Amino acid sequence: MKLLYIEDDARAAAEMSDIVREQGDTLAVESNGADGLRRAGLESFDVIILDRMLGDADGLELIQRLRGIGVSTPILMLSALGRTSDRAEGLEAGADDYLAKPFEPIELIARVRALNRRASGREHSAVILFGTFECHVKARTAFRDNQHIGLSPREFELFRYFMENAGEVVTREMLLRDVWNMSFDPQTNVVDVNIGRLRRKLEDGFDSPALETVWGTGYRLLQGRAS
Amino acid sequence: MLAGLWWTTDQTIQETFAASTRESVDVDLTGLVDIYSSGGQVELEKRIDDRLALNPTDGVRAHYLLANRSGKRIAGDLTEWPDLDPAISESGDIAIGNRSDAYARATLISVDLQLLVAHEQPERSFLLARVSLVFLLGGAVFVGCTALFAQIASVRVRDRVRRVSDAFRRHDEPALDRMAAPRNPDEIDQIASQASQAVKRARQLTQAYRDTSEQIAHEIRTPLMHLDSRIMKAIARQPDQSTTAELLEARADIKRLVSTLEALLDIAASKADRGDWKGMNPVDFSSTVRQICELYQDSAEDAGYHLKWEIAEDVNVLGDEAQLRRIVTNLLDNAFKYNRPGGDITVSLQPGPHLSVVDQGPGIPAAEREKIFERFYRGTTAGSGTQGSGMGLALARAIAQRHDLYLGICDNEGGARFVLSPGEGSECV
Repeated sequence: MKLLYIEDDARAAAEMSDIVREQGDTLAVESNGADGLRRAGLESFDVIILDRMLGDADGLELIQRLRGIGVSTPILMLSALGRTSDRAEGLEAGADDYLAKPFEPIELIARVRALNRRASGREHSAVILFGTFECHVKARTAFRDNQHIGLSPREFELFRYFMENAGEVVTREMLLRDVWNMSFDPQTNVVDVNIGRLRRKLEDGFDSPALETVWGTGYRLLQGRAS
Repeated sequence: MLAGLWWTTDQTIQETFAASTRESVDVDLTGLVDIYSSGGQVELEKRIDDRLALNPTDGVRAHYLLANRSGKRIAGDLTEWPDLDPAISESGDIAIGNRSDAYARATLISVDLQLLVAHEQPERSFLLARVSLVFLLGGAVFVGCTALFAQIASVRVRDRVRRVSDAFRRHDEPALDRMAAPRNPDEIDQIASQASQAVKRARQLTQAYRDTSEQIAHEIRTPLMHLDSRIMKAIARQPDQSTTAELLEARADIKRLVSTLEALLDIAASKADRGDWKGMNPVDFSSTVRQICELYQDSAEDAGYHLKWEIAEDVNVLGDEAQLRRIVTNLLDNAFKYNRPGGDITVSLQPGPHLSVVDQGPGIPAAEREKIFERFYRGTTAGSGTQGSGMGLALARAIAQRHDLYLGICDNEGGARFVLSPGEGSECV
């Protein structure tokens, strides 16, 4: 993936470069709004990462100017303002996703990949196939190795989300936001318990694991084949 | 007022008529005396007969009596001398027949002749009827004009008050600014001006709060992010197990610090925005509460609790859905934390909205019931394993207040009963 990062804090930009390069992706950095706008207009990027509070511009306004000059690249807004209302403002202004500092590098990567996937339209098929798994979106049914897996409606929504992000890390925040419509992590272990139930159903009667826990960050759906 | 005016007018008409009659009698009498002086008694009698023969055009009939000194009639239409002394030219009202009063003056015109001239009072009823009509019409016009004026004035006042109230309700800033400095202020303008200045000050304070909190968030989060990156780099160098554990704990501390900061800012923002309905939308609270209960269902089973819910359909609340979710989850988190092993947790939603979350834990002693809503407060009944920033309930109450709702705790047989309801005092009913 080719990413553009508009950020006036040089240290944060350097840290981001490390994170992105580790993943084998490329990162272009611009240190102010005006240069960022020009670069985004001239070159094509898969995802733009935009800091909300830049020295010369307000990130919310910059999004509208980017959209105004015809840049439709997905934008992940990165900000020190992390309250629910701040997120809502960012999304209303036109950001496709919003992540508060400090963040987990893996969370950032997961969200950037999800944005890229969404933009390239890979998630909207009626039947999603990944490894040994099948998800029939309309019929709301799940299969592993052609064997039907009985899921409750809530479990199915969770399974579908994993299938849409197949092979990628899905963070707790992404699950809370996209599956359960929660903008914060409750103190009760609802994420772990719901994941645990789905995992048991996906793995019951099979030899190989279905869901991998990425320590401290989230989960990843595996192909479900014996290694 | 009208009765007084009517009485005064009536009196004035009477007096004017009386004065006019007095004057015409005197003129008539003087004329006849002059005729007598120049033409003698025969001429006088002739003129009296002439005048009696005239049909008066103004309706005021004249009567005459020429008599000798003993009062015996010589000429004229009257037969009897009234009780008036001609020697002193006495005048006064006399009766003519049995019909009407007349004003008369008697005078001595020679040693043995006396003359009486009497004029009937002119007919006033016609004039009085016309004056009455004028009064009635004038009164009607006056009442009509007053009513019209009052109506116009009340419509104008109502319109102005409505414009002021609309400007406040819609937060129409240009209109509020115009109101703050009216050109020709009357009482309404003054009230509007004072209120809009107060609103402006509150707005400036809220804006100052927002600017400051954004700055605090930025100034604290950015160095925390750098600190977190350093810790991650240290972990990546794979130090020994105990160092790694400590570094991970340090990262967890950073996360807690950030969540505390967020909760504090959320509480402050909710308090600053109290009464401001901008950005609020109708929320299907029944559906929100049901979804959250379903989400917590598996966790309840895992923890060995019985989570039950009874949710009325179509309970709608004007509000911010994300924030309302936060109230419900904070109350459920609290119930999960303090419930007794195997105990029930019951969620109920009724129109109002009246939301209650009841657990079977140790409950909250009466003395602590208000304190648990304070920031950083942890109850004495909390187990040693409980976690959290100690701000969940303070935040939930601030959000409730932002929505004009009240979050309180009520008496319950064992356990705690948290209730969200409209207005303090209605929660425990």
